[in-house]
Amino acid sequence: MAQIRENIAQSELTSDVVNTPVRKRVTDLDHAGGDTGAMQVFASLRDANVVLDGPVGCHVMPAVAVINYTDAIPYLQNVTCSELSETEVTLAGTLGVLKEKVAAASAAGRQVFIVSTPVSELIGATWTTEHAHIKGSALFFDSHSLDDDEWKSRDRALLFLWQNREHFIVPESQSRLPKARPCVNIIGPTYGNFNSYSDLAEIKRLIAGIGADVNVVYPFEASAHDTQRLADADASVVMYREYGQSLAREVGLPTFFAPIGLEPTTRFLRELGAAIGLAERADTFIKLEKKTTLAAWQDIWRSTHSDFFANAPIAIVAPPTYKDGLTYYLGEELGLPISFSAYRTGPESVPNETVRETLRESSPSPMLVFGSINERMIIAQEKLPSRFLQCSFPGAVVRRATGTPFVGYAGAVWLLQCVCESLFDVLFANLPTSATPPQRATVPTKELMLDAAQAVSSSGKGQNSVISWTDGAKVLTETTLKRVPFFVRVSVNKKLRGEAEKLARERGCDVDEAIVREITAKYSPGN
Amino acid sequence: MGKQPSSMCPAFGAVRNLLRMEDAMPIVISSGDGCLYGHTFVAHFYVANRPIYSPGVSSEVWAKGSAFDELRAMVYEMAEKHAPALIPICSLCVSDTVGLPFDLLPKQIGNTEIVYVPLPAYSVHTHARAKDIVVDSLVWRLPPQRKTRAGVNLIGEIFPSDPIKIDEVLRKIGTHVNTHVPGPRWADYVAMVDGAVNAPLHPFYSESVKRMKMKQGLPFVEGAPVGIDGTYRWILSLAEPLKLDPAIVARVATEERDRVAAAISGHRLDGLNVMVAGYEGHEFLLVRLLIEAGANVPYLSTAVSSNPLAREEEAWLGEHGCKVLYGANFEDEIAALTDRPYDCVIGTTPLCAHAKELGIPAIYYTNAIATRSMMFADGAADVLALVTQTVAAKGRYDRIARFFAEDETALERTYTSWAPKIDLTEHLIANQAI
Repeated sequence: MAQIRENIAQSELTSDVVNTPVRKRVTDLDHAGGDTGAMQVFASLRDANVVLDGPVGCHVMPAVAVINYTDAIPYLQNVTCSELSETEVTLAGTLGVLKEKVAAASAAGRQVFIVSTPVSELIGATWTTEHAHIKGSALFFDSHSLDDDEWKSRDRALLFLWQNREHFIVPESQSRLPKARPCVNIIGPTYGNFNSYSDLAEIKRLIAGIGADVNVVYPFEASAHDTQRLADADASVVMYREYGQSLAREVGLPTFFAPIGLEPTTRFLRELGAAIGLAERADTFIKLEKKTTLAAWQDIWRSTHSDFFANAPIAIVAPPTYKDGLTYYLGEELGLPISFSAYRTGPESVPNETVRETLRESSPSPMLVFGSINERMIIAQEKLPSRFLQCSFPGAVVRRATGTPFVGYAGAVWLLQCVCESLFDVLFANLPTSATPPQRATVPTKELMLDAAQAVSSSGKGQNSVISWTDGAKVLTETTLKRVPFFVRVSVNKKLRGEAEKLARERGCDVDEAIVREITAKYSPGN
Repeated sequence: MGKQPSSMCPAFGAVRNLLRMEDAMPIVISSGDGCLYGHTFVAHFYVANRPIYSPGVSSEVWAKGSAFDELRAMVYEMAEKHAPALIPICSLCVSDTVGLPFDLLPKQIGNTEIVYVPLPAYSVHTHARAKDIVVDSLVWRLPPQRKTRAGVNLIGEIFPSDPIKIDEVLRKIGTHVNTHVPGPRWADYVAMVDGAVNAPLHPFYSESVKRMKMKQGLPFVEGAPVGIDGTYRWILSLAEPLKLDPAIVARVATEERDRVAAAISGHRLDGLNVMVAGYEGHEFLLVRLLIEAGANVPYLSTAVSSNPLAREEEAWLGEHGCKVLYGANFEDEIAALTDRPYDCVIGTTPLCAHAKELGIPAIYYTNAIATRSMMFADGAADVLALVTQTVAAKGRYDRIARFFAEDETALERTYTSWAPKIDLTEHLIANQAI
């Protein structure tokens, strides 16, 4: 492998992004491999055609099945596949079939990117032709699909594009006019990036707000030939820390990361403004935002909604940008206690077994869990009272409306709203609920009084309103309630007590452990 | 700024408690759709996901006098069809002003009790009073007191596990909890006829207590097992009316007192200024705890009106440097926010909103305090931990206040710099409020 990579040194520029370690045992993998990451970068370019050099599954899974639930796109039309069969894998190699696919895509006037997959890497397949030096000819990208995760691969693919910027044919119609206003690159997102449509819209809004223009949104709203235009900007904004910073480094402009939270956004606007000569405009915009976008934020903060924050523990499992961003914003700025937070990717990423263990053992359970389908499953499987909010892939979701950002001021408002609404949902799930009328009264009040008297005078059990609880039942109740988020503990307590005593009354006994267990078994307060 | 009410419609205190009863089907005769919508909205938000029944009202209905016919038909229909133990008739402002002839409603239909609960909000004033009216209306319906009586009737809204905790302690001194109202079942009220002592745990069940005295002739024990002093005195006070062994009672009272003291010593609030404004009634008890933990609570602003049940509490608070301000309004409270550097405000919604604007950590009384147990050692620790936690967030509140203030770069933006100072006591005296 090392030998092969030396031969294609141009794809080996150092990426700042660090891989998620490969584990000996994996339960419910939460990130894709290098081929998927590279495909998501190249396919984002308008004039590109990606040829995945692999068997049909390497194409269908990422470009048809998964993309439909990450980006709500039925399939990626500019991704094709060499459709390797036994012949290519064992005898012929992939060059022959690749040529057909490359020819077909090139004929349509597209810049072709050939992306290696695990099988092609295993058999050492590569792409070398006598046409490699010709502008616009197909480029081969070794995606390190067996070793790099999707994030590192995205970062490398973006770097690869920059390095090959002279290779792409620039249409004659493309003119590089002098800019009227300072302008800014946006690096990222790509396909398959949770919530990126809204985040991108908010970053554009912020850039416009301080009086700058967007130069290139790369690669998401760009063509391959826009790559060299990245140099024309005054600054770059990298959407996510997971990828894009290596490209930004090579482009060499002042670089900023998309901010999550109030203070980070304010700092972002000030620093970006200062870097591109718009400091004053940035200040004016911040002032205006306080009266507009953030008026909602201030109102919610001043409302009683925020009373529960200090007692609403949450958990966050996400890639670094969201994990750190949400931890700071929700934990530091809003004051929600963070039960735990874990990286989904990178060297410090936490295995799912550990997440499960931590969620199961947390007392109280986090009221809200921000995560992926994995956390959602854990909550359901372990019958936790936690409410789930998605903040990461994997997990099917539609996030194409652009009103749900996590970044910027609008993101701060949206997240605050999400938290409040989720707390309402938790409350709803724990209130007494019944459309059926109460049980029919079987005796008139006078007789009810007779029953009560008998019971009270004997042992304090039965019809009396205070039923005896055994010590075991008390301890068990205490343990159960401690796990319930504080916000709804009073409701759950009422419910539990009511149902337990009802059973005890029916059976004419004290409330014992068996009764408490019976009640709690059928009851999952969060969902 | 116009006058801000400190809480929602006072009558809701009653609607809320009745809707929580599992064998009752309350009928709410609203003053109009605006009124009913408000009650329904908040009830479904945080009381219960249960139907709220009401006869439709309009100017025509009130003018024709057909409202009562409709109500009576509705009551019969519900009683015959569902036979709940109880149909409380919550009569709000307009129906009570119009003077519907509620006396003409049957007292019972089959096994169902029909109880009129008068709730004209303009004269009910507070949540606490509305709760008092519910207890009063239901207790008044009870059959006469029995001759053989035992145990303690707990009166007042408390945390669901509190009656169990209290029962545990009472059994150590040779008695027990007989019942607790407001409870979730009609039987909880009926059981009151068997109790030997009534214990109103909050100082606002004055009307209920007055009529219970008339009807039941039971002895009353005031206060609640909250705080060091409160816990000790409350347990001791049960000895005489229940004829318990004084030595045992004294021992248990001392044990519990020491436990509370130990709990409080782990959560000291020395040197902190706390403002408390409540309307539920148990704000008296909260302030006890805060003071015993070392906090400085210069005022207790309460929507509850001055009444005999509050005298003892008021005296205790007075001895500990806290002035009780009955019926203080929003402007008074806001004004008082600037008379010293408060570290924490526990109050009503608009007061907390204002405090947050000034960067003072604030929590809404009902959400934060009324949902916890304050009793015995565990309750003390829990409530004080909440206050400590809230105070610790000062930096966060301050940063946000500065961010939204006109000039966020101002060096020091605390209570001192942006509002006129005012002494609440003087202000109230000037306004002849006290």
